[in-house]
Amino acid sequence: MENSNGITRRTFVSAAAAMTAMAALASAGCSPTQNSVEEGGAASGAGVAGTWVSAACWHNCGGRCVNMALVQDGVVIRQKTDDSHEDSPEQFQQRACVRGRSQRNQVFSADRIRKPLKRSGWAPGGGANSQGELRGRDTWEEIGWDEALDLIAQEFERIKTDYGNKAFLVIGGEAQSLMASYGGYVGSWGTTSYGTFAYTPGIVGLGDFNFSDSGNDRLDFKNCETIVLIGSNPAWSSAGSPIYHALLLKEQGTKFVALDPFYNESHSALGAEWIPTRPGTETTLFIGVAYEMLRMDPEKQLIDWDFLNTYTIGFDAEHMPEGEDPAGNFKDYLLGTSDGTPKTPEWTAARTGIPAEKITYIAELIGKDTRAAIVGSYSAARNTHTDNWPQMFMTIGAMGGHFGKSGHMCGLTTNARAYGGGPAIFQAGSDGLESVPNPIKDESICHVEMWKGIVEGSYTFTGTSTSKRNPGVQKSIDIHVIWHAGSARLQTADDQVSGIAAHRKVDLVISNASFMTTNSKYSDFILPVSTLWERPGGFLTGNREMLIMHTQVVDRYYETYSDQEIAKMLAPLLGIDGEEIWPTSAAQQFFNQCAGATMTDESGEKVTLISFTQEEIDALGVDGEPQEGSISFSEYKEKGVVSVKRSEGDAYTYYYYEDFIDDPVANPTKSESGLMEIYSRQLASTIRDFGYSNDVTPIPTFYTGPEGYAGTFENGDMVAGVPSAYPFQLYNPHYLRRSHTVFDNVQWLREAWTNPVYLNASDAGAKGIATGDVVKITSPHGVTLRPACVTERLMPGMVGLVHGAWVNVDESTGIDYAGSDNYVYGTVKSGAGVSGWNSGICNFEKASESLIPDVDLPLLVNYNADGTYAGGGRR
Amino acid sequence: MAQVGFYHDMTRCVGCKACQMACKDKNDLAIGLIYRHAESYETGTYPLPASYCYSFSCNHCAMPACLAACPAQAITKMEDGTVIIDEEVCIGCQECIPACPYGVPQYKADTNTVGKCDGCYELRMNGESNACASTCAARALYFGDLEELQARFGSGKTLVNEFPALGAMPETEPSLLVNLKDAAKEASFSPSLY
Repeated sequence: MENSNGITRRTFVSAAAAMTAMAALASAGCSPTQNSVEEGGAASGAGVAGTWVSAACWHNCGGRCVNMALVQDGVVIRQKTDDSHEDSPEQFQQRACVRGRSQRNQVFSADRIRKPLKRSGWAPGGGANSQGELRGRDTWEEIGWDEALDLIAQEFERIKTDYGNKAFLVIGGEAQSLMASYGGYVGSWGTTSYGTFAYTPGIVGLGDFNFSDSGNDRLDFKNCETIVLIGSNPAWSSAGSPIYHALLLKEQGTKFVALDPFYNESHSALGAEWIPTRPGTETTLFIGVAYEMLRMDPEKQLIDWDFLNTYTIGFDAEHMPEGEDPAGNFKDYLLGTSDGTPKTPEWTAARTGIPAEKITYIAELIGKDTRAAIVGSYSAARNTHTDNWPQMFMTIGAMGGHFGKSGHMCGLTTNARAYGGGPAIFQAGSDGLESVPNPIKDESICHVEMWKGIVEGSYTFTGTSTSKRNPGVQKSIDIHVIWHAGSARLQTADDQVSGIAAHRKVDLVISNASFMTTNSKYSDFILPVSTLWERPGGFLTGNREMLIMHTQVVDRYYETYSDQEIAKMLAPLLGIDGEEIWPTSAAQQFFNQCAGATMTDESGEKVTLISFTQEEIDALGVDGEPQEGSISFSEYKEKGVVSVKRSEGDAYTYYYYEDFIDDPVANPTKSESGLMEIYSRQLASTIRDFGYSNDVTPIPTFYTGPEGYAGTFENGDMVAGVPSAYPFQLYNPHYLRRSHTVFDNVQWLREAWTNPVYLNASDAGAKGIATGDVVKITSPHGVTLRPACVTERLMPGMVGLVHGAWVNVDESTGIDYAGSDNYVYGTVKSGAGVSGWNSGICNFEKASESLIPDVDLPLLVNYNADGTYAGGGRR
Repeated sequence: MAQVGFYHDMTRCVGCKACQMACKDKNDLAIGLIYRHAESYETGTYPLPASYCYSFSCNHCAMPACLAACPAQAITKMEDGTVIIDEEVCIGCQECIPACPYGVPQYKADTNTVGKCDGCYELRMNGESNACASTCAARALYFGDLEELQARFGSGKTLVNEFPALGAMPETEPSLLVNLKDAAKEASFSPSLY
């Protein structure tokens, strides 16, 4: 039997049997022993025996679902999703999405890398020896693990001796632990998905890091009359259960209003009223809404003054922080007392393109007497020059009093926790490992300027993470090694054109990868990584009402190893004792997570989750003591998931910010004042000190950057309205073909989702472009090609280039053929260092180039029938 | 006679194609073969567009034209009404393809046979659910006895088996119940997001 991945059972088994020297490091793999089933018979007469195994679906997708794999003779025959219990709104099944359902087509993809690859033109010694300019163009050759790791270790030693540890840029947890033990490395950080929610919320008193879990409990969404969505598309961006919860709300009569550039599939299914809105203009829009709430308040009582007076500072002159000029308050900014410009609907309309009457309409919609949820995703914050947006968002919620009570919310409802905030009911235990802290604490590059910084040899050091920050210091940097041992940074960081140049500049690039990813394509060594389907097991968290346990599905795939195993193999070659960093086996780490797992029971008590018998512990081959819990290990392993059945008023009921509202003195926010700071001295001063931009203000105000909506006009003048050379705003919707960059090589998904660029029908029509035509998208930073999807569902002036396609540059022209988003985004420094993927600018035209449909492109890695490497690596 | 079929709730479907992929996986289909496909359509113009999604597959017709067209007796209507092609018997003549009013049967060159949705007959006989319906996160797709589906989902609604994007109901009597969105009643529509 040959399945659609081209893997027969025989080649698979023989490949696994061929493991030799390195197999000694293999984890204590448990072969699948779950419940066997007998199938078939009736129709075909062919009985198919197999075993269902809870198979990890572990990606950065914004969802989290149950995935089961049917294993027969070590080969996965097919998948299914959650059927561990009957489906009901009270206890819903964790149903998998289109990507999860294709998971075996990824794990066993024909282009999955089986043995280490070395770039042909690379040689040790650095400089010209590395022929760095060939990265991304060169051919590859297979190399043994021993030889690959020896070469890497020798280069590390040479570079460490010549340039020191600050020559190493290392990305990925296990490699970082190794390199920390080796003397340290240069780290990196970025606002990634979170945009300006990565820094602003904690400073202004709006929840915790990233402002996640910021809605009320799932059951309380029913109590909202109106849900205002700001940049939200759970059907695509939080695939899995969230859209189901939202649909139930629609069916009970909840009104949805959507602010978004796109009338997306979620809006359509929810019957949402669409108010077309350009990303990055939300702060300005809500300044206008706040003005209208204030104007209409005497007549319509829209503002919750008690809330403002009790829980916030900075709204009016009477409630300003001590030592600040009372004239700097928000209300006087709205009225124009302080700057002579009232922020009327007409003023707002001219700066957002949103009709004035819609601004008035929104103000009436979210007054204090409406049970309103103002919720959305991070997308409005993934814009440059929007560091005041989370504060404006908080301010609107505070004006309506939409915090801490039933039926009222102002928060994010996104990722797997969309439509259900609150602390997790189930928690996995610790694996028992401790990460090694990086001894180099005075270097770390923000993604926004990471690649350009490496190329130019200097950058601004503003801290070591989104929250651990210091005033900006200009530093020189001399990177010689880039090690991608996690993430997809060359594909996902801003300014990929500089990223490619940075990769071509250094002496050595290593990529741990399962496929010829963008990281890998521009590397010198590709170290093939095992997937979670080939490891003993672990846990996956998503919505708070469940916890997924996954276990090993199949044996080790050819000569692939986990990131931890790879780091541990390299350790002795660098004179490091890997046993000290990773003293336990992967199986023991899994057991530790199991043994320490907890759940909050119906009385609100935290109890041990998993029972273990001695036999179960022995079968795992680990050290441990039997224990009593809520579910046996064997039953959990068979089901793959535990969940709770919810009911009104149960122990899991949760209202975001309830503690603060009950007693703001005992439960202060994390701001300087302990209140919600509509005026935040710290926000403005710290961000200005970073040195990226000088526009962030203590209160939310109107300002723009060089790109985004303003950048589509000459001199950024929206009011004059003269188009610039890049008259379209480029933004970056998440797309169901991929999870960020993950899955982009999966043929089943490439067939299902073609990856077009979304264009408004009038805009496209004016340029003679129809659906299917090849479009050339030109930004100030790069040029890319995509087939057009012409639609009435995207507002005019916007171009929707979906996120995460693996760059495919034609070296003769420098044009990308894949629609790689970061190829057309540049280094645009602003605020706290935000990556602004929704505030690009571009122009587009009908292209003279032709495009082969993605699914028909040759694979990047090929193997002969006998398992030998057959080349590839270029398109 | 019993008759199974699909219920599709267009007011819930988000066109995510999870059903399409579950079908692809269950039937282990090579690139180019798709037994179930979810599509998105739009009507209207900016700023008031409307859209709907539908998941197409075999409608297990009461009087299947494919069966009637098959010269090899490879197509069987099972006791529960499922229409199945036995690829061991199929001679690859492809007579069934144009016969189907919905263009459902797919020719497989590598085996010289025709395949299509078999309503996950084997799975159901072994106590599992249909791959497509059981993965639907929006709970928009169900499979079962048509009368039971009508009783469960049809209360206060008119469930249909024809609309412009699917085509008018043919004489084959498709076993299909659709809770239609208003936008899907528009005669003029165009393919939307993909």
